[in-house]
Amino acid sequence: MSGCDVRVVGVRYAYGEQEALRGIDLAIGAGEQVALIGPNGAGKTTLTRLLVALRRPSAGRVTVGDWDVAGKRPDEMARRVGYAFQHADQQLFARSVEDDVGFGPRCLGRATAPVQDVLGELGLRPVSGLHPYDVPAPVRKLVALAGVLVMEPCVLVLDEPTAGLDRAQRERVVAALRRRAAGGVTVLAVSHDLGFVAEMADRVVVMRDGRIAEDRAARELLYDRGALAALGLRPPPAVEIGLALGLTGQPVRAEEAIAALKGSRWRERQL
Amino acid sequence: MTALVTLEGVTFTYPGADRPALVDVSLELAAGDVLVVTGESGAGASTLLLVATGLAPRVVGGRLTGARRIEARRCGVVFARPWTQLTGLCPTVRDEIAFGPASQGLPREAVLAAAERAMERLHIAHLAGREPAQLSGGELQRVVVAAVLAVEPEVLGLDDPAAELDPEAADALYDLLPAIAAAGTAIVVATPDLERAARVATRAVALEAGRIVARGAPADVLGGTEVAGIARAAGCPPPFPLDVPALLRRVSR
Repeated sequence: MSGCDVRVVGVRYAYGEQEALRGIDLAIGAGEQVALIGPNGAGKTTLTRLLVALRRPSAGRVTVGDWDVAGKRPDEMARRVGYAFQHADQQLFARSVEDDVGFGPRCLGRATAPVQDVLGELGLRPVSGLHPYDVPAPVRKLVALAGVLVMEPCVLVLDEPTAGLDRAQRERVVAALRRRAAGGVTVLAVSHDLGFVAEMADRVVVMRDGRIAEDRAARELLYDRGALAALGLRPPPAVEIGLALGLTGQPVRAEEAIAALKGSRWRERQL
Repeated sequence: MTALVTLEGVTFTYPGADRPALVDVSLELAAGDVLVVTGESGAGASTLLLVATGLAPRVVGGRLTGARRIEARRCGVVFARPWTQLTGLCPTVRDEIAFGPASQGLPREAVLAAAERAMERLHIAHLAGREPAQLSGGELQRVVVAAVLAVEPEVLGLDDPAAELDPEAADALYDLLPAIAAAGTAIVVATPDLERAARVATRAVALEAGRIVARGAPADVLGGTEVAGIARAAGCPPPFPLDVPALLRRVSR
């Protein structure tokens, strides 16, 4: 399924007295891969929830493709926008992993949903018969993501999709998202994991205090030491290696750093 | 150094499970240790925290065999999902953090002082008057860490304590650990965040299917960092460097 564009215009939102979004304008093109980063409490999660009608803005407008989110319910939005919560336990309820992943397509009467493919893609086949609460928390996170991917939405909104995952699990998530990206799906991922951001995003939007503080091409931001330092961030490993060794091509992804380092001469470890 | 926790050949099985989550685990924890426990999801790292701090089987049930001695007077655990350990009784962050010391029957001044000290350590004094339920995931995680530190545990178990934190707060949390350990606490951290763990660990163990498969210096055990993966794939001979400075010392261009 190819992507839809997402437009957020003049959006504000407050939790009681606490203003979480103070005027957000953001346009994401169909098929773009965007990371949303920023300190805790910046408003990232709040913004993503407005995209699926889980919260309603106090001012401004959100559209996904030709849909105005103001006129849609969350279950209607779920046909177009797949949302993976930061905490997977908020969206798991079936008695087995496989049942949970297949829940959405079942509700919509889709007999041909790629449940087995998605289970395999995320390495979940060995646990497909287990109860979701009998698998470790990081695996539950993958189960929730699988339940979103299997719906084949045109927009993916993922809140901290790699938090708590080990390296192998993270690599599976990256590979799954790259496949969706190649198919033109729009992705917006909230993340603190700059290594993951480097692997999946073309563009990085930085939020701070309920506002957008930066909106730049991922490679440009990741190689801007000053901008990262101002945000309290360290470059991901591939970028640190690229900067320190002056590697050509400004690698941001691990595979780019590996390609640039191949052929290097290596010293034995000094004991 | 007296061991605060000793495990000898400990095997632990959760209630209803058909195989043990920990198998024949032996280790000691002493004041000053920052022991990092690593392994793939399901390898048993979180379970080791529960066993080492006495929560398993006492609270979670299950069956433990082998010998376990916990000499520590107080153990504290920070779980990976912070909202699971809020009291649900406290209208403000300050009250939430004061709950532990207050439960120990300390005088009011000591309770408040412990809460203030813990909030300062986690840089959350500005959240003191906020309602815990209204906080973001990362803010909440710092509140929970502060609440556990406020009771001054002798053994501190941290289960992926920075999973919800932004990188600055995550670095700040890991940077706190050496000083907490040096003040007389044994710390055990289960985390897939090997880069940060490698910076503060004094020792490390790796688990596979509940068994310890490697133990020793962090540089020898925490081989699964992203930098190590890059170095391995780029042709670096083992042992693989764990972080960028170590990689730079190994490559000559």
